[in-house]
Amino acid sequence: MKETPVLSSAEKKELRLKRIYLLLPLLSLALLFLLWILAATGTNKDSFPSPLAVWERFLLIMKRPVKDYTIFGHVLQSLRRIFSTLVVAWITGISFGVLTGWNRKADALLSPLFTAFRSVPPLAWIPLITIWFGTGEGSQMLIVYTGCIASIVVNTQAGLKNVAKMYLDVGTVFNASSRQMLFQIAIPSALDAVFAGVRTSTSAAWMVVLAAEMLGGKSGVGFLIVRGMDSLDLPLVLMSMIFIGVVGAMLAVLTQIVEGVLCPWTRKKSA
Amino acid sequence: MKETKYKVEVDSLTKYFGSLHVLDNISFQVRNGEFICVVGPTGCGKTTFLNLLTRIYQPTRGDLYIDGQSANPKKHNIAFVFQEPSSIPWMTVEKNLRFGMEIKKLPKAEIDGRVERIIKLLGLQDFRDSYPHQLSVSSEQRIIIGRAFAMNPDLLLMDEPYGQMDVKLRFYLEDEVIRLWQELGSTVVFITHNIEEAVYLAQRILIMSNKPTTIKEEVSVDLPRPRDVADPRFIEIRKHVTDQIKWW
Repeated sequence: MKETPVLSSAEKKELRLKRIYLLLPLLSLALLFLLWILAATGTNKDSFPSPLAVWERFLLIMKRPVKDYTIFGHVLQSLRRIFSTLVVAWITGISFGVLTGWNRKADALLSPLFTAFRSVPPLAWIPLITIWFGTGEGSQMLIVYTGCIASIVVNTQAGLKNVAKMYLDVGTVFNASSRQMLFQIAIPSALDAVFAGVRTSTSAAWMVVLAAEMLGGKSGVGFLIVRGMDSLDLPLVLMSMIFIGVVGAMLAVLTQIVEGVLCPWTRKKSA
Repeated sequence: MKETKYKVEVDSLTKYFGSLHVLDNISFQVRNGEFICVVGPTGCGKTTFLNLLTRIYQPTRGDLYIDGQSANPKKHNIAFVFQEPSSIPWMTVEKNLRFGMEIKKLPKAEIDGRVERIIKLLGLQDFRDSYPHQLSVSSEQRIIIGRAFAMNPDLLLMDEPYGQMDVKLRFYLEDEVIRLWQELGSTVVFITHNIEEAVYLAQRILIMSNKPTTIKEEVSVDLPRPRDVADPRFIEIRKHVTDQIKWW
């Protein structure tokens, strides 16, 4: 005979709550969809495309690409753009962050410069960059760079400034050289902070790349949105927006997974 | 270099911080392979004393000699077990054990051999690839103790390593330390405020006074091991040490 577990009323309540918490996010998604349908009916029909219209637009762009690319092609173009920039930003940003976070003289000399640069929002660079370098691939990457460099530098810097004294003491006791202190103690202990920087810089890059592509780009989701706006193709605009949101969320999850693989000790105890 | 039969000699160690007189004329000797406990009231300058031994501070007067030479962390091998768990979270158990020796750039074969021995002694075979946060508190502390013993230190300093642990764990880890010490023959100075622990572990107990700290008395404990905390002689020594700490 199967044993039926006896649950106290508190346990039952907990179980019920658990189910509710699983359900609520789905409910909110359904609500969003419902709102969308409502917004797209009646007099709004022309200015707010319905889910069906967006779906049809999606099928159309898969059949008839815009400027040689389907929607996935444009997403890939944008991704290529941000990742080739991010690699450069990570290398330069982490080096700069380590230098200024670890060496107090370098910090005193270089950090004010960096702070001055950082207090200008990245988008404010667009006019100058466009005038100097045009709207080509290089300028777009430069704009993305200005948008994502700050978060990686700031996080790396903070990580190296806040190395727990305990670990440094361990190094001192074993008589580690200053080189060993940096590479075997300080940098590894700052890795989770560096990864926080990698995560935020990735999402920042994904935001800024849209702005860069909107200005005379020839490909990418930012370009696609502007194309939709120019030709009053609202389903195209909305579809691009949805793709931007989904890809952004996927990037966040992806960077988290990569962090878990590269720094297993940052995973929670329960894992 | 002076001729000596002692492993460690502390010679009239005195420390002032400005006008604050913290340590006063501390002298004692430790034989090679001896296990010494230092007990004293809280705030008696134990930390300062340790920091002098590790050369984080320089003494105002007096000096510390290892094998007859003024102690020098570059030449001598002083290992330290901190009060707080100080295993390195981004390294596995095995890497934690290797860490100190790798910093000192010992030959790989030597490191391999010592690490295997320590892992076996501590029974950590199943955990060598685990990270410290995956282990229990007691296993984590064992890693740190193993890491210190693995250095084959000239002098192993332990600063209340079991201060935060419950009674059962403490007994267990105390036996572990004794086992490692007997097996590897290291020279240990163990600081504690727990008198029973001191009597249980030490061959000799140094009782410290209040500030300015000096050594009030040396008590040698010649009870056989494993020691029995209920043995009348054990209780007698414990009572004596307690009285010495209580009455100034």
